[in-house]
Amino acid sequence: MVFSVSAGKIQQHISAIASGFLGDWLEARGNGLAVPMTLFAGGKVLNAGHPELAEPGSTLCLSLHGLMELESVWDFPGRDEEHYGSQLAQTLGDTTALKLRFNSGRPIYRNGQDLADLIERLVMNWPVPVKRLIFLGHSMGGLLIRSACYYGSAKGHSWAGKSLDCVYIGSPHDGSWLAIGAHKAASQLNKVPRDYVKVVGEVIDLRSEGIRNLSRGEVFEPGTEEQPLLSGARHFAVSGAIMRAERHLVNAWFGDALVHRSSAHGARRKGWELTAKASFPGVDHVRLAHHPMVSKQIQEWLV
Amino acid sequence: MTHINSNLQWWRGLADVLGHGLQHGATKLKRVHLSVADETFRALDAIPVVRPVNRTVRACHHGISKLSYSSVSCAGRLVVELAGVSPSQTADGSVDEEMMNKS
Repeated sequence: MVFSVSAGKIQQHISAIASGFLGDWLEARGNGLAVPMTLFAGGKVLNAGHPELAEPGSTLCLSLHGLMELESVWDFPGRDEEHYGSQLAQTLGDTTALKLRFNSGRPIYRNGQDLADLIERLVMNWPVPVKRLIFLGHSMGGLLIRSACYYGSAKGHSWAGKSLDCVYIGSPHDGSWLAIGAHKAASQLNKVPRDYVKVVGEVIDLRSEGIRNLSRGEVFEPGTEEQPLLSGARHFAVSGAIMRAERHLVNAWFGDALVHRSSAHGARRKGWELTAKASFPGVDHVRLAHHPMVSKQIQEWLV
Repeated sequence: MTHINSNLQWWRGLADVLGHGLQHGATKLKRVHLSVADETFRALDAIPVVRPVNRTVRACHHGISKLSYSSVSCAGRLVVELAGVSPSQTADGSVDEEMMNKS
């Protein structure tokens, strides 16, 4: 039994990593490794069309993971199913914590469109009237929130008009240095007139559309103009950094290992009005998803 | 039954990815190998005294290499065929060719 559980988890992680690298291709091939968009409540799959819960709350708190991650990234180490959402649910009361799993290799706008529809279906079928929605997005998950908010609003979904709180945790709104580097490296290597160099560029070019979107923080369908943050909602940004000393050279180069502080705060985005932002030097990219200091900050903002 | 089916789908999916990796990996490795070797063959070709032998060796080297890599690539293709993953179709029934060609 123990073996089958851990084997299942290994399979899920392999699927998440494969989907991050090649998710769009896997989906197009109908490959069983492609991760379908799935909602979870208390570790169990939740049917958005017929949600069955013992105590459904009027506030929904949805946590969205990042590239190549699973919903388990939110769990505090050694504390199964305890995460920012569950802690908020406990403090706020009348709140249901949900998690999302999705194919992070698909273009962000396509995931955003599907997520907007999924939330609408969930809210319409929720056993009690939904009054408030809280979105917590780690890394790419934050970009997915922005995309879903835009498409939900554009489609006139009822949930987009409710009380909304969006928390972007280590999200590369202006792009990630690693994705930008991959993009530049591939284009430079492809120009070299030597086959053995070009092959390296071609291998880098195999990366998924989801990863490509991360190079510039693209969340809308190509050809769509830059859209502002959803008005009427509150928007919070959280950033991390590898070193404790905020001005350390390592932080200037690598940020939280993948995302710079300026990108996490959307410094280059025009017309952005963040409700609040916070930085956590010494907390790296992955630990931002399950760190007590971040949890405390989220509680201060949302409770 | 559903769990068994999805588990089977997962293993077939993994075989499909590994088969593609083998197939395209061998092709790319062949290009790297031959182009690196060509650097040396090109340098030797500039020396008149070794040129005839160099060309014969190059032809043998490239022939054997191509045969070896093609065999590995074929094995990968066979794995993909055995995995039997069929491309998903779009809403209008067509296959997303652009995405399929990405490999």
